[in-house]
Amino acid sequence: MSDAALVSLVTALADDELVLGHRHSEWTGFAPHLEEDVAFSSIAQDEIGHAAAYYSLVANLTDDDPDRLALGREPAEYRNAIFCERPNREWAFTLVRHWLYDTADALRLEALEQSAHPELAALATKIRREERYHLIHADSWIKRVARGPVEGRTRLADATASAFPETIGLFEPFEDEEAAVKHGWLPVPSDELRRRFYDKVNPMLDELGLPTETHPHAAARAEFVASSSGDLISEGSGETSDAEGADDALGGRRGRHTPDLDALWTEMTTQYRSHPGARW
Amino acid sequence: MSTDLLGTEAAIWDALAGVPDPEIPAVSIVDMGMIRDVDLAGGRATVTVLPTFTGCPAIPIIKRDVATAVAAVSGIDDVVVETSFSPPWTSDRITEQGRARLEEFGLAPPTGTGPVLITEIGLPTVARCPFCGSTDTANENPFGPTPCRALYYCNACRNPFEQFKPV
Repeated sequence: MSDAALVSLVTALADDELVLGHRHSEWTGFAPHLEEDVAFSSIAQDEIGHAAAYYSLVANLTDDDPDRLALGREPAEYRNAIFCERPNREWAFTLVRHWLYDTADALRLEALEQSAHPELAALATKIRREERYHLIHADSWIKRVARGPVEGRTRLADATASAFPETIGLFEPFEDEEAAVKHGWLPVPSDELRRRFYDKVNPMLDELGLPTETHPHAAARAEFVASSSGDLISEGSGETSDAEGADDALGGRRGRHTPDLDALWTEMTTQYRSHPGARW
Repeated sequence: MSTDLLGTEAAIWDALAGVPDPEIPAVSIVDMGMIRDVDLAGGRATVTVLPTFTGCPAIPIIKRDVATAVAAVSGIDDVVVETSFSPPWTSDRITEQGRARLEEFGLAPPTGTGPVLITEIGLPTVARCPFCGSTDTANENPFGPTPCRALYYCNACRNPFEQFKPV
């Protein structure tokens, strides 16, 4: 089918938003303070709403049902980046993932505004305006914690060391990407988006004293401690092994996921599976 | 266009002006700027709705209410309600009357009357307290109980209030 590349592109966008939206929703009732409970619930609702709009676009192309696409597929059929399916772990990890994801998503949406597919271009234009709120929320939190007391900074540095290398999964080419680029549906290839992303986040991470190591295990094994000047320095073994690499973070766009997605999927699809065809 | 068609189209807009935003019943969807256009072909009316926020859960209710209201217009046999994101709904689409009604409802209208630049979205704005009219207010949270609302606090009358977000 000639639209296969478009379906593949929009499905990846939808799955990223749905899966991360679901992770954000796990803070409802559990966030460290009330305003953030409200914020993450609202951000989750936005992301899942964006996913719904993307699934509707796919459903129109393939004569399918958006609910089935969102909740009626097997885990191996999802095309989200592994980065999005990781558990929330703790507040620092949630924040840094929120910031990295929304920074990457803003670049992706900016590119998609010029998509040769008019409906996708219009949707990206609308979503990008809404996502501005997410990005500003994430930016202000990252700066606040990175410039705050040492415990928060240390946790943020640790979280960044494990989250940042996995962002590579967001820029893994999706199936038939070459065709999508050729048709102008995706005006900027994933490789170029990745370069733009690093150009954007590296200076900010440097400025905030956060790790920019893109190799997953080098920084993750190090321990961040405060020096006498108050700057965080990484101590301990930074040794790496080539056997373990950013490969762990790749595969999502081809449907190779981690057990983290299985756990999320089981919960996310419970209602859909136990009451087929249910209507609100 | 014949006078009949013009009359029918005007009657459709009147009917739409009676359809409230389900989450803000004081304001009609016309005053919210959510109706992009009405198309008439014979007895068939096609109404295109622009969702305020992509994830707004009120959209199915709005579509149903639009279909019911327009079907009641004399001369209409068939109603098609479509949603579109082109152009994106922006908060400057809210009419003057819509802004006044939002304020009466207790919801501060979005700041600015022109289209909001993408680089301005999400920055703290000055919201006028819908209860006492003071602009000595503080943004407590860019998010709120629905995707379209932000939380503010009025330092003058000490009431919390909500603002319809500029977008």
